[in-house]
Amino acid sequence: MSERERHGPAGTLPPVRRPDSAPPPEANPTIRRPPRGSGSPGPLRFVLDSIAMGWRWLVRMKTALLLLGVLALQTAIATIVPQEPNVRSTVEAWRAGEEGPGAPVARVLDAIGAFDVYGSAMFLALLLLLFLSLTACLIPRIRAWVRLVRRSRPPLVRSVGRHDLVASFATDRTPDEVHEAARSSLTERRWRVRTADGADGAPPQVAAEKGLWSREGGSLLFHLSFYVLLAAIVFGQLITFEGQVGVVEGDRGFTDTEVSYWTYRPGRWFGPEQHAGWQLNLDAFEVEWIRDPTAPGAGQPTTFRSDVTIVGADGEVSQAVIEGNRPHTVDGFKIHQLDWGYAPRIVVEVDGDVVYDDFITTIALDRAGFRGAVKAPAADPDVGLDVFLYPFAPDGEPGDPPTLTGAPWDDDPVLIVSQYRGDLQLGATQQSIVELDTSALELEGGAFVRPGQTVTIGDVTVSFPELRRWVGFQVSSRPQIPWLLFGSALLVAGLIPALYAYRRRLWVLATPDGPRTVVRVAGRAFQRPERFEEEHSRIVAALAATTGGTPVTSPGVTDPDGDTSAPAPAGSTSEVMTR
Amino acid sequence: MTTEQLADLSRVLYSPTTLALYLAAAFVYLYALTTTVGRREDRVRGRRAQAVGAALAVAGIGTHIAHEVVRGLAQSRFPLGNMFEVTSLMALVGVVVGWTYLTFIRKRGELNGFVLLGGALVLASALLMYAEPGPLMPILDTWWRHFHVSLLVGAMGIFAAGFVFNGLYLLRDTGERAVARQREHGMHGSTVGAAYVGDLEAGSEDGSVASDGGLTDRTTDALDPTGDDDGRDHDAEYRTALRAGVSPVRLAIGTAIGTSLVAWVFVYSADTVAAGLGRFVTINLVMVAAALLARWFVPFLPSTATLDGLAHRTIAFAFLMWTVGTIAGAMWAEQSWGRFWGWDPKETGAFLTWVAYAGYLHARATSGMKGRRAAWIGVGAFIVLMGTYLIANYVIVGLHSYAGL
Repeated sequence: MSERERHGPAGTLPPVRRPDSAPPPEANPTIRRPPRGSGSPGPLRFVLDSIAMGWRWLVRMKTALLLLGVLALQTAIATIVPQEPNVRSTVEAWRAGEEGPGAPVARVLDAIGAFDVYGSAMFLALLLLLFLSLTACLIPRIRAWVRLVRRSRPPLVRSVGRHDLVASFATDRTPDEVHEAARSSLTERRWRVRTADGADGAPPQVAAEKGLWSREGGSLLFHLSFYVLLAAIVFGQLITFEGQVGVVEGDRGFTDTEVSYWTYRPGRWFGPEQHAGWQLNLDAFEVEWIRDPTAPGAGQPTTFRSDVTIVGADGEVSQAVIEGNRPHTVDGFKIHQLDWGYAPRIVVEVDGDVVYDDFITTIALDRAGFRGAVKAPAADPDVGLDVFLYPFAPDGEPGDPPTLTGAPWDDDPVLIVSQYRGDLQLGATQQSIVELDTSALELEGGAFVRPGQTVTIGDVTVSFPELRRWVGFQVSSRPQIPWLLFGSALLVAGLIPALYAYRRRLWVLATPDGPRTVVRVAGRAFQRPERFEEEHSRIVAALAATTGGTPVTSPGVTDPDGDTSAPAPAGSTSEVMTR
Repeated sequence: MTTEQLADLSRVLYSPTTLALYLAAAFVYLYALTTTVGRREDRVRGRRAQAVGAALAVAGIGTHIAHEVVRGLAQSRFPLGNMFEVTSLMALVGVVVGWTYLTFIRKRGELNGFVLLGGALVLASALLMYAEPGPLMPILDTWWRHFHVSLLVGAMGIFAAGFVFNGLYLLRDTGERAVARQREHGMHGSTVGAAYVGDLEAGSEDGSVASDGGLTDRTTDALDPTGDDDGRDHDAEYRTALRAGVSPVRLAIGTAIGTSLVAWVFVYSADTVAAGLGRFVTINLVMVAAALLARWFVPFLPSTATLDGLAHRTIAFAFLMWTVGTIAGAMWAEQSWGRFWGWDPKETGAFLTWVAYAGYLHARATSGMKGRRAAWIGVGAFIVLMGTYLIANYVIVGLHSYAGL
């Protein structure tokens, strides 16, 4: 303290000047205001106090950390427990006790919403709290930041503080010349510079500051981007559309209308009138595998490719190729190729009447062929065929059934058909398109059917004229994507300065010392002290070079190019100060 | 050369060549670390040892890169298609970034031993998931994969380096705290460290007695050997006290618990329980051995503030990479699967890791949480990272399944 008085004339000190550096705005200011007024305790008072208390709780960083912890916990649950929107069948198996820890545990999980964490009320409540906490944190921070940017000038020093990184050298230039050189050099390096001629109660000096608003500003931008992302996600849920449909090669195509999708998931604000009515025809679907059983990766697919013809809403016909990573966009709808399977054409006749003649879609089973079903309610009683397709099933020894290989290529396909009669219960029970509900059906018999063959099972004739493929397309409309990209760009743009920018101050004090001038360059970094050490010595070296400085070795000052071990504690303590 | 020969060559380059070079470099560097405290002649030897360590490390990095290239040639694709390749690249990025950062940017070459040891452990763990070279699913065959996967795998490697620094910070801090407690207790009984009491008080005066920061720096500075014999005796005693301050039993148990939180996946996913348990026990033993080895070096570590800073800088960089990599993943998913985010196990795991590391960064910026608590959150975040990486590949099958078993 005594050193301070020695420098500035205490009597002339302007009251508003605070040459000492003001600490930067705290990331997380504690708010401890006494309750306003002392009105009589009443219900309104109680409510207001509770709100104020809740707000104060929300503002705290520890609260934010706690909420992040709960978010992590919920996410961890969602990683371990299967989620209903993703894998419905697995969840059903857990509920039934066939998989997982058993039915009682599953009931508990169900009760706490663990099967749909991201749709549960708890998750929504947490999200609300997180955003409230974020808002509560951000409002004072933004205010402080605006104040900082608008008002802050680099503070002057009266003396070099003990936390500062100091270097000094001697030169033959006058102090004013040194200050001028420092000013232009620092301005060139894009520092905020303030020169003092000694009238401010502080010794003549050049004070400079850099990184004043970029670090905190980056952090604010990073956190503000979450509002953009949240808005885009919530709004997106309302206006999005997603549907799936299977299309058979060369068969009648698909028209974009509400009723023609297999699954149809519109957002609440997506109306059926938004469908443009374009058409898609699958000309060919190409798929290839590594067939050599000894090659590395044997059996892996190498190509999935759909050649499609699209008739736009305006009648324009175009050809397109859709592959795994290459969706096609028509009238704002994105078409992805998601799934594929074989589509055998099956004709079913009962007593000479054709009761069914269509392609059925079969889906791949895990290395065991494909499965599909024929449901022919036109017959009386209903005919149901349970169909397994083995694409590569060469003939075995004469008299033996075909050898069923798990290979997916259709070199030698065979159908295994089981024929059922009875009630298909269409419309009565939840039905899969590839499986029969056999609860009210009776098995009549089975047969192998090769392409082109016709077999008779009981009084039903089944023929298999040809084999094609079908492709499952997903059609989606997501107008929120540009906003999500914008939010992500803001997030990254904020994160980089928030992690990398650092606020630092520098003072150049040149004082006459006999015939020469002693120049002291003091600096302080609020973050990243190790980085600032290098910058500081670079600036000192540059200044010494432009002013023809020579090192001085007086006690208490550090050689500019010297050992960097000495300033380290100074740097780290100044980092401590900022928090 | 035929594909088989290339595959064999890549295997030999990986193990034993790279593994041995990393381990050798690690031990040479660890030796160099012991010379940082001591006589001047020792320091000269330490610098020579560092040069040898650097040569070994560069050779190891060279053979590791050669392995990646040869493996890439053997299967005519970028080697990032299964868990073995991902883990191998994670080790490579961790070693390259950690070694470059310590050697050239922070000029703390003596700490490289721990980075290389960590790299060697990750490299060895990849052998548990070894898969022969093979082609790729067509859906993965796009430049998006290179971008998204390299960023995330690189971030994993750097997170691993950050974990090493956090672990070292906790070890050193525990040792220093134990010594400080002893001083408080036995001020009159023992003379150990009594010379530094004045420094401690000076440290607490300026209000910067956080768990890191001024206090410990002053202590280490006071310890800086000046050639004074008396000081050296104190040093030796102080070093022993530091090491004794970290209980080996508690360290071993803690490491085993932390490792088990991740390693159970190997028991779960193994073909036989015996094989799984074998892996589980091996991983645990190796990790405990590594932790005890690190404990031995506690007296030679730099100040807690330096270690904390190293952990923070590496994790901050990896966090940025993780963020960009996850966003890239969402963009690829929109392109490839027709949805940008579907809470697939892997996506959930990436999000969870992101939240955990965001927690670390926030904790480190919060008074009352920074220091030990933040470091523990950082350690927990790494457990989350490794846990979700293994769980989403071995336990839960999702769209991201590429375990290549």
